[in-house]
Amino acid sequence: MDRKTEEDQFSQNDTVLSSALSQKMTYLNDLNESIIKGNDLKIYELIDPNRYATEAKGEELTEAKPDHYSLAADLNAQLSHHLSDKLITYLGKTYPFFYYHEYELGKFHIYFGNWWDHRMFGDLDPINVRFNFSEEEYNVLAQSFQLELENKRVNDDEMRQLGEENEKLTQLIGDQDKRDHQKETIRKQLKENEEKSPMPWEAGKVKEEHQRLNDALLELTNIDEQAANGRPKIKQNENKILALSKEETILNLEKQNIRASFGSFDAFNNNNDHLYANYLESLAEESQVSDGE
Amino acid sequence: MSNETEKKVLTTNDLLKQYSNSIKTGLTNGTNYVNAFNQLNNTTEKEDLLAAAVKLTNYKLNTDFVVFPHQFSDEDVQLVFLERLLSLSGLEGGLQISNPEHVQKLLCKFTSLGDNTFTFTKSGKNPTGFFFGPTNYNRPLFYLNLQTKELLFHGSSLIDYFVVDLEGTDVIDLKAALGVLLKLAEILKESFGFKIDFNVLDGINGEFYEFAAGDIPESIMDELFVKSADQQFILMADQNGGASLTLDNDTKLQVYNRGSSDRPKWGAAIHDTNQTENWLYLLLDYPFIQEWYLDNKKQLEILSNQFIFG
Repeated sequence: MDRKTEEDQFSQNDTVLSSALSQKMTYLNDLNESIIKGNDLKIYELIDPNRYATEAKGEELTEAKPDHYSLAADLNAQLSHHLSDKLITYLGKTYPFFYYHEYELGKFHIYFGNWWDHRMFGDLDPINVRFNFSEEEYNVLAQSFQLELENKRVNDDEMRQLGEENEKLTQLIGDQDKRDHQKETIRKQLKENEEKSPMPWEAGKVKEEHQRLNDALLELTNIDEQAANGRPKIKQNENKILALSKEETILNLEKQNIRASFGSFDAFNNNNDHLYANYLESLAEESQVSDGE
Repeated sequence: MSNETEKKVLTTNDLLKQYSNSIKTGLTNGTNYVNAFNQLNNTTEKEDLLAAAVKLTNYKLNTDFVVFPHQFSDEDVQLVFLERLLSLSGLEGGLQISNPEHVQKLLCKFTSLGDNTFTFTKSGKNPTGFFFGPTNYNRPLFYLNLQTKELLFHGSSLIDYFVVDLEGTDVIDLKAALGVLLKLAEILKESFGFKIDFNVLDGINGEFYEFAAGDIPESIMDELFVKSADQQFILMADQNGGASLTLDNDTKLQVYNRGSSDRPKWGAAIHDTNQTENWLYLLLDYPFIQEWYLDNKKQLEILSNQFIFG
């Protein structure tokens, strides 16, 4: 390689480098300007140009667009906080039942509803315009929608079982007098049995009867014990039933709210899947309106 | 020593003179009593009415020489006072003395509460203080002290009586009787500057009805949430762990901790446009809240003045 070609190569390299750096500077300048102007639509384009082109613009890309987001990625928290402002306002209209709490800069918990003991339903990701629902909470809701079709509720079986157990215990407690009478009768019979002085050939039968009476008495005493422990158990079951009814009440409210806003769970899910496109469209319409003014 | 000497030389004449003086004093005492009683019965001035009632309370009518076999009791005086005060305020019949023929233990009735009778009982602690309550139940609905100008309602007794004992009575009728008590308290406050503790009958917006337990377990709030939702009312989460419920006509019930997390002081407050809804009325108006309260009475009982009623 002669010196001339070497120099050319180096000078070419500088051109490339310079152009790349100026692209990056342009990128950061654009991002900065968009933030200052409050042009969130542009910010989204800068954050993920490929997603923007395909999902928001509906373009089909033959090759990937240059993506410089890594330059600003360490400012994720601040960007997320910035973007959350308009996004949450938008979501307030489309998802009026979601509430957000910024528990850390740019990080948001989603609460379903503002009723008593509302559920923490996951996280909001303003950078990617996405709900990250907590799997467990979401699944219960999905299950509740599913069971509703069969006229059932998530906690029906457990609640029924606890209710039946309580009925049984109440019955046991209520039957105490009856058992006391039975025990008294058995004790009398036992006494009579013990006072018998049977003929040798009858002794076996008398002894057998004695055993039978003792067993019956023991069984009644066992039931007495269950009844005696019944009240705390009933209270415990009632508390469980209350917790389950609360869960059902919450699920009901969630379903009501989803239906009021979206008509169905499917429509809700569908809207979640297209949240990015829908939101960016709304931002685009907004900027057109303000441009027109 | 000298007194004894004097007594020894008492003449018959002196003795008779002393005797007739004693009788006269006794009779004058009786006359004063009758005058005060007439005043209680006839005056058209509220101030005179109160003065007569105060004078007659703890009046020592009997003396060593003159004894009156038929006397109204101090309790009766309180009742006559209240009945007349209502009349003078243009509210005749709000409270009717039901057995005027029986001197010594007068009873009264409220038009809307049928045959249920009420009477006063003397406080064991305060010589001029009296408890008003249903004749057949030992519950003080309120405490009245005309001397110290105080009337204090007893929250949990009012609830026990009007909500539990009279269960099944029309709410309108219950409120009519409670309305008379409220009116009386207002008249006492406005006419004489009485200090009134309205307790569960206080309708002022934001009045804090303090629960006995101080702290209440979350399950109690869960129960209110579930019971409300059954009636299509949604218990909303408020700041600081409290909750609120919007009821009919924009009436708002709040349940919250007015203390701190270390020293919790849970209670309820009501806000309504006309400031007529109070804790007791709320329990009567909303059976599901009533059920919630009674299920958890131990914790949710509203505190009353423990010194007076304790």
